[in-house]
Amino acid sequence: MIVRIIQADGAEAEVTVKYAALTPEVESVIAFLQGKNVTLSGKTEEGTVQLKAEDILYIETVDDKTFACTADEVVRLDSSLTALMEILDGISFFRCSKSMILNIDKVERLKSLPSNRIDATMAGGEHILISRTYASDFRKRIAKGGR
Amino acid sequence: MKNSGRLSLWERYLSREISIEFKACLYFFCVLFYYGVYRLCTGRNTAELLHMAEMILLCYAAGYLQVYVLWNFDEAEKLGKKETAGLVICMLIYTAGSWLFNWLDRSIAATAGFAAWTAVMFFSAFLVYRYRRILDDKKLNEDLKIFQARGGESAT
Repeated sequence: MIVRIIQADGAEAEVTVKYAALTPEVESVIAFLQGKNVTLSGKTEEGTVQLKAEDILYIETVDDKTFACTADEVVRLDSSLTALMEILDGISFFRCSKSMILNIDKVERLKSLPSNRIDATMAGGEHILISRTYASDFRKRIAKGGR
Repeated sequence: MKNSGRLSLWERYLSREISIEFKACLYFFCVLFYYGVYRLCTGRNTAELLHMAEMILLCYAAGYLQVYVLWNFDEAEKLGKKETAGLVICMLIYTAGSWLFNWLDRSIAATAGFAAWTAVMFFSAFLVYRYRRILDDKKLNEDLKIFQARGGESAT
């Protein structure tokens, strides 16, 4: 595989993957670029589990404990929201309130609410409120399509 | 995540103040329009500066009351019981103001018309804000779909 790295002043960071056939090697590069390789370690009643970031709907802090919610399970994580955002910032996660991070890829519908707040309906049907403090950041994030 | 776009406490306060300012200007214009039409209909083609000063001050006071006490009813998601109560209270405040400051010569017919006018004014503002949110919904969901598609497209 040929790797070209070009530094261009003022250019937006961009990665183009050019391939003839979607080989496992190419797939793994694409998955890495999309952040699909990011996994988090957490605990459930059955023990320690590895959680793919792309499966997470949202991450929430309740009583200083952090939980990641997927479509079918809730996993307790050891890290704080701030530490998690360091890992998940590059992919489709967004800090939507002081106690919550949501996965934008798992949002089904958005609704504009009074006082510049946004209601996000997740794939599981849950409603998450993006507070006005974070709403303007959220609008910018999805408007520029920045991932 | 970049925090540059996040609103600080000061910015949130400022945004609310601007919203009150906007309401005061909008409602002042509507009140002034009714007052102007009334003056013309009663054969006077001048407006009292004192009346105009009273109007703008009342609009500001009612704006603060509306935002901080009366559930900001014109920007509400729906006109429920409390929002309707807010609308009626504001309508009564404006009507009482017009009577107290003698904007309409204490004419019962003109004052009743003014009360109806303010109710229509608040209801129209509610519809405008609601329609603006519907348009905003469309834009938000379009942006969301593009955002999500970008992730999917890059894998094909």
